[in-house]
Amino acid sequence: MTTFIDWLAAPLQYEFMQRGMIAAVLVGIVCAVVGTFVVLRGMAFFGDALAHTILPGIALGYLVSGGAREPLFWWALGTAIVASLGIGAISKNSQIKEDTAIGIIFAGMFALGIALISTGRSYAVDLSHFLFGDVLSVSTQSLWLILIFGGLVLLVIFAFYKEFTTISFDPVLAATLRLPVDLLNNLLLVLIAVTVAVSLQTVGVALMVAMLVTPAATAYLLTNRLPRMMFLAAMFASLSGVIGLYLSYYLSIASGAAIVLTATFFFVVAFVGKRTRGI
Amino acid sequence: MNRFFIMLTIFPLVLTACGGTPASSAGTVDPVILASTTFLADIAQNVAGERVEVESLLPFGAEPHSYQPIPQDVTRIAESDLLILNGVEYEVFIEALLENAGGERIIVTASDGIAPRQTEAHAEDGESGESAGDEASDPHLWLDPNLVVTYVENIREGLTHLDPDGAAEFKSNADAYAAELQALDAWIAEQVSQIPAEQKLLVTNHEALGYFAERYGFEVVGTVIESFSSDASPSAQQMASLIDQIKASGARAIFLDASDNPTLAEQIAAETDAQVVTDLHLESLTDGPPAATYLEMMKYNVTLIVEALK
Amino acid sequence: MYPHTHHQTNQPILDVTHLNFRYNGRNALEDITFHLHEGERIAVVGPNGAGKSTLFKVVAGVLQPTSGEVNIFGTRPNKHVCIGYIPQRSHVDWNFPVTVADVVMMGRSAKLGPFNWPRKKDWEFVHHALETVELSNLASRQISQLSGGQQQRMFIARALAQESELMLMDEPLTGLDTPAQEGILSLLDRLKQEKVTVMVATHDLDQAASHFDRIMLLNHRIVAFGEPPVVMQTNNLIKAYGGRMKVDSEGAMLMDDCCDEEENDHLH
Repeated sequence: MTTFIDWLAAPLQYEFMQRGMIAAVLVGIVCAVVGTFVVLRGMAFFGDALAHTILPGIALGYLVSGGAREPLFWWALGTAIVASLGIGAISKNSQIKEDTAIGIIFAGMFALGIALISTGRSYAVDLSHFLFGDVLSVSTQSLWLILIFGGLVLLVIFAFYKEFTTISFDPVLAATLRLPVDLLNNLLLVLIAVTVAVSLQTVGVALMVAMLVTPAATAYLLTNRLPRMMFLAAMFASLSGVIGLYLSYYLSIASGAAIVLTATFFFVVAFVGKRTRGI
Repeated sequence: MNRFFIMLTIFPLVLTACGGTPASSAGTVDPVILASTTFLADIAQNVAGERVEVESLLPFGAEPHSYQPIPQDVTRIAESDLLILNGVEYEVFIEALLENAGGERIIVTASDGIAPRQTEAHAEDGESGESAGDEASDPHLWLDPNLVVTYVENIREGLTHLDPDGAAEFKSNADAYAAELQALDAWIAEQVSQIPAEQKLLVTNHEALGYFAERYGFEVVGTVIESFSSDASPSAQQMASLIDQIKASGARAIFLDASDNPTLAEQIAAETDAQVVTDLHLESLTDGPPAATYLEMMKYNVTLIVEALK
Repeated sequence: MYPHTHHQTNQPILDVTHLNFRYNGRNALEDITFHLHEGERIAVVGPNGAGKSTLFKVVAGVLQPTSGEVNIFGTRPNKHVCIGYIPQRSHVDWNFPVTVADVVMMGRSAKLGPFNWPRKKDWEFVHHALETVELSNLASRQISQLSGGQQQRMFIARALAQESELMLMDEPLTGLDTPAQEGILSLLDRLKQEKVTVMVATHDLDQAASHFDRIMLLNHRIVAFGEPPVVMQTNNLIKAYGGRMKVDSEGAMLMDDCCDEEENDHLH
């Protein structure tokens, strides 16, 4: 019995593992709660694209701040918010479908980022580390940022839970009730942007969309109540984070990939389980 | 991953416009000599002396592991008469460039004749991972000045081949430079002796100082990234075991190249008594001090190492 | 939280004057003029794509007219939160993880605000609404578990919880079997007792003629608007339905509703 506890405790003697676990759990919870709306509103592509559109912001921030790393978070945050509102504005005001608008902005911004990076070719390595992130390199300062901004996001979702649910389920009803639909939609976009910016430095581009979408999708398979869906999503996300890190520790595989694989595994189990039991 | 793919697809398009330019003849026009990196260019320039000019393909601060070529690189290679490479697959990007440049030129592999170190390093698990199998060869031979003597010889041969009239000049330059290298070697040995034996421990970002360690009696305790390229990312297990190794060995410092991302190293250092030394220049010279030439680069690095460990 | 304009009760509940709505270069609604009194029950009849949904959305204040005026008790629709819009069942995401009670409670959102969770009074409205439509025992079911008729009644309950005085129902009877339709129609009777004004878009001419006070024949313009015997004349029907209508030897009318051109995607 003691060996099992030893086995559980062994990785936690390292501070970087402790911070990594906390970061993975925090980021997981925030992504899962926001991700619930992302899944219900079909915004997975938006989330993925947003993570990529941050690239030029970081590149610019890097060039402007002469290579300092601390301001990059704020550049990422600012870029994400601007990009998300931009996509919202384009898809609302024109005949272009939202899907197309996202594709255009995503590609354009990413290309801008590449162009900026290529002007100073020696910056490439540093920035790719930022983009691909690593939950193992979370500093205490990063944890504070995650806690504060993640907490803010959760607070706003809690405050406007009814409103977000209403505009997601029935925008026409929302309009007849004179809810500020545009404002609320934009607010949701901003929340997704903040979530992506906060999570990006921890989990990177590739992992980002998985953390937004996979736990929420798994929860959706298992319940048809919204509050329960959010709770289950948060639970799956946290579990994936913790288990993924243990896998990384004991099997020596990349931590980010391990977390995503665990989350995906939960999804597959839920999917198959639901099928075999009949719907 | 995305950058790499995008660059690969841009290549064929751009090069239909500018590929295949014939190399200029060496007779009437000055020969164009290109070295892959800044330090190689400097070494080669010392052999070439006043007679011909050597340029570097990569700019200051860039390193080949993560280098993204631009179309102009192809043009420069196409117009070159002599290309100096480090070898041991250091210039991972060069094959594609050479193919697209076409034409013909003399290629000098500076490390020809030296048997490189192998390690049992694992296949890279990062985004640029491409090593096959368990064995990988360490390309960082230039960090041992003794081995650079062989570089000089290979370069001298290549230059003479290109410009036979300059044979005598190249020979005397090469000899002079070799002497300086040997003086450097002696200086380093003397500097390094200031470090207590049990402190001759090196921890680096990736496996760069293998030859240096061998020559001057250091032990490489471990690396943040278990590979020869700085692009991979470690697993939790690798990080944990490095922390253990540092604690067990009492290593005092983690040495990073100026272009490395220090966040992982800082995490590791925070849990041990080691400090992070961030400003080594292992893979490129600097534009001006402190590492404007190869000799200065080595002296600078050694000074930092000795300061941290003695 | 969200202000609701005082009702000037000397005004008709709904007054539409020369309403035009253009979208994508087409006249979805042309020169619509009519008014309704409180408690009236109106059927809006016309082929697919005639603009019935569009009319409802403009009246509800969801869309803005290109020109013309819409007044609810004398003021513009977007000053009111008493207009209930009941959507077509085919336009609803039934997999959305909400219960019947959740949906009905959404109708109260205008009365709450951020950080305000439903209070006892709000629950009372919801329970009362569910009782009125006879869905109390299904309150905690997820909405995909309802039959078509139950789904329809749920939206009516939502409009009741919203304290609607004007209800706009977009094809509530389409696709329901006869008992379910009868259920809805008798519900409309109850609404009439509560003095709720109702506009119902429907394809069923017989039902329109027998269960409604007045019928509006709509095909981008008002072809006719008045009591059933007056409106349901062949020449009016031909004007409204054009080639989609046949008259067989017994005088009964058959309709061919093939293509759905309704502009239902104004809102994303």
